[in-house]
Amino acid sequence: MKGKLEPSERERLVEEGKNLKESLVTLEEDLMKLQDELQHVARSIPNMTHPDVPVGGEDSSAIRNEVGSPREFSFPIKDHLQLGKDLDLMDFDSAAEVSGSKFFYLKNEAVLLEMALLNWTLSEVMKKGFTPLTTPEIVRSSIVEKCGFQPRGDNTQVYSIDGTDQCLIGTAEIPVGGIHMDSILLESALPLKYIAFSHCFRTEAGAAGAAAKGLYRVHQFSKAEMFVLCRPEDSESFHNELIQIEEDLFTSLGLHFKTLDMATADLGAPAYRKFDIEAWMPGLGRFGEISSASNCTDYQSRRLGIRFRPSEPLQTGSKKGKANLPSTKFVHTLNATACAVPRMMVCLLENYQQEDGSVVVPETLRPFMGGIEVIKPKLR
Amino acid sequence: MGLHTLRLATVPLTFSTFTSRLFLKPIPPNTLQTLGQFSRHVHPRKPFLVRAFSASPAAVQEIPPTQASDSSAARPQWKASIDFKWIRDNKEAVEINIKNRNSNADLGGVIELYENMVNLQKEVEGIREERNNVAKKMKGKLEPSERERLVEEGKSLKESLVTLEEDLVKLQDELQQVARSIPNMTHPDVPVGGEDSSAIRKEVGSPREFSFPIKDHLQLGKDLDLIDFDSASEVSGSKFFYLKNEAVLLEMALLNWTLSEVMKKGFTPLTTPEIVRSSIVEKCGFQPRGDNTQVYSIDGTDQCLIGTAEIPVGGIHMDSILLESALPLKYIAFSHCFRTEAGAAGAATKGLYRVHQFSKAEMFVLCRPEDSETFHDELIQIEEDLFTSLGLHFKTLDMATADLGAPAYRKFDIEAWMPGLGRYGEISSASNCTDYQSRRLGIRYRPSEPVQTGSKKGKASLPATKFVHTLNATACAVPRMMVCLLENYQQDDGSVVIPEPLRPFMGGIEIIKPKLR
Repeated sequence: MKGKLEPSERERLVEEGKNLKESLVTLEEDLMKLQDELQHVARSIPNMTHPDVPVGGEDSSAIRNEVGSPREFSFPIKDHLQLGKDLDLMDFDSAAEVSGSKFFYLKNEAVLLEMALLNWTLSEVMKKGFTPLTTPEIVRSSIVEKCGFQPRGDNTQVYSIDGTDQCLIGTAEIPVGGIHMDSILLESALPLKYIAFSHCFRTEAGAAGAAAKGLYRVHQFSKAEMFVLCRPEDSESFHNELIQIEEDLFTSLGLHFKTLDMATADLGAPAYRKFDIEAWMPGLGRFGEISSASNCTDYQSRRLGIRFRPSEPLQTGSKKGKANLPSTKFVHTLNATACAVPRMMVCLLENYQQEDGSVVVPETLRPFMGGIEVIKPKLR
Repeated sequence: MGLHTLRLATVPLTFSTFTSRLFLKPIPPNTLQTLGQFSRHVHPRKPFLVRAFSASPAAVQEIPPTQASDSSAARPQWKASIDFKWIRDNKEAVEINIKNRNSNADLGGVIELYENMVNLQKEVEGIREERNNVAKKMKGKLEPSERERLVEEGKSLKESLVTLEEDLVKLQDELQQVARSIPNMTHPDVPVGGEDSSAIRKEVGSPREFSFPIKDHLQLGKDLDLIDFDSASEVSGSKFFYLKNEAVLLEMALLNWTLSEVMKKGFTPLTTPEIVRSSIVEKCGFQPRGDNTQVYSIDGTDQCLIGTAEIPVGGIHMDSILLESALPLKYIAFSHCFRTEAGAAGAATKGLYRVHQFSKAEMFVLCRPEDSETFHDELIQIEEDLFTSLGLHFKTLDMATADLGAPAYRKFDIEAWMPGLGRYGEISSASNCTDYQSRRLGIRYRPSEPVQTGSKKGKASLPATKFVHTLNATACAVPRMMVCLLENYQQDDGSVVIPEPLRPFMGGIEIIKPKLR
């Protein structure tokens, strides 16, 4: 229409332009709707799976490693709840009045034990080059979603704050994942390795029965979580590093445990591969999960928008013409539990109990508890 | 990097006072135990006055009489054991106290309601008696017409009774609503007036003289890679933050050291739930659901996040009768605290000074009434010793009446010098709440029987129970302490020195240095 035209020709073109514009508007709307639908539906496609992962349900999970063996007791043993009462270490009854079930107070040496566990864990994991962090425990619900959780489903694990778009975190993975969202990191900045401390809050909706007893399943707990961002080619070796750190920590504490390579039905959407550690809890008479280490490859980073720009390879002799940056790639993310305090406490209390009702403190923790060696019954 | 070679010890090996004699005196199994401590402080909004731990601006919303008589108001879920008779018999003193505290509690309304209630109670009792008489009469032999008359009388008495009893319940509820907001009485030595009237009880140290231009804690936090507010504002919103590197170790050192010091004084360590039922929050004097509330509520439940460990610790011994021999109960409680800080704006909210989430160690005491003043002195002494050990310059204030807040009989605040902010800022608050909280939480004790030489013990007659006194005091509020330590201990080269008492709790780190780039 920029050229010289007959009036009738011009008019015809104007009509054509209008029609095209209307079609365009409609089609663009349709396109956006389709894109939204696509997002919505595609988000729930789970991550791909490592070829070595066993296919099947929980019975198919493979044992990667086993350390120690169940302690033999020469006397009738107590579970951690009974030990907690007898040694005046925990109070579930008052908490049930004040807050509801699955809440508790820790008292006396149990407070020192929690602090010792966290301090010792920090100390050990920092030696491996992890940066310590504390995190917000209230986050925007969009961050929760980007990490692969469902804040607002029925039976959601996530507590929401009234009157806001905010939620309580169930794990420090979430706020740490959020630190670098919508960013392009330099390759030289990788890997980023964090050890993050936080309280965690979970509704445990739908969890009932024996697995809910005492400290085993609670609404609020302290946890130290490792989180790694790395190049794709490195994530498998970092997964091995993380599980090694966990195994070393639990071995140092003298626990008997199995490391499982979780089968496909137990992975959860973000994990490409997941190693869980289950420790022997004699008072409960079974193994219980004390940690989980996942390689999420690019599942989370695609949602959180975390990319890196590879360093330029050395080009000997080639002419550097127009500035031409290598295109960005998505990082891989991994997360692993370094210490979930209540589960560790179940293990320590139940495994280290003695006939006289006292509990021995593992040697590695003693310097972090002012040298206390034994938690004794209080004089009456 | 130096951090990687740390060997942290939370509590030095020489610490060995954790013996059984420091534990709670045993309480026989059939004695209910509850521990109730809370501090509820009304604090009128003052943009430049920085009071985090004593201030809960929406803590007590005085309920105007018209609202109290609104019959559509919800029934109170619980009752405070207020001594109305005492209030009526001492109304002049109560009125003066209300004025001094700038409270808008309606004393006249309370007394009127109380007297109406007393009269109504008498009426109700009178009718009950009449009904009993009628019932008695009907047991005997009667003429049919007489019987019928009595039946009629019985019926009409019953109807009156039902109506009057309903009215009585309404009156009692109204009385509760209005009377709850009457503030605690005040210690005679407390200065009368507003914040400028607060008296300085003690001053320790003096402001450090710097020979170089100083930074505030936010700048130090950035330069030393210790604090990240920017990522947190994307992830969570403003007034949230991540601590990094040595700042994490510093938080842990502060809490571990505080625990260690306060336990030596016979306090029992506790960690607490951070989600509680909203009724507990109310009994502690906060308003979970007002406008401008400081309290976060959980969607779809009657639960809230705590703003201070006072609340869950207050709940431990609620609705209980303790033995006198069990007192005093002394706790040091660790928790994260969550506050909306609704309405807080301006310079007083910069950086770590005012945040939505923080770690805090709080001391609580339940004791006999005759001991609370001594314990108040003990608590403030502990706080002063802690802050003196850290080398801070601070003033201890005896807060004036208008700054007390409803539950406190007397309140000592400590304000420390924060050179980067250029002013003093509150780092702790110690309140003696006498029986204000225990009357709401229902925490009583039974005095031990006095030894009676020679007198005959006839019928078993237990001494009547009394309300305990409760006190609370901040041992360590981490972000405020961090502001003080970073700003006061900064050096010319941008590093920050760690005070000596904290070094063993940080693996021996003496200085926080800028990171190599």
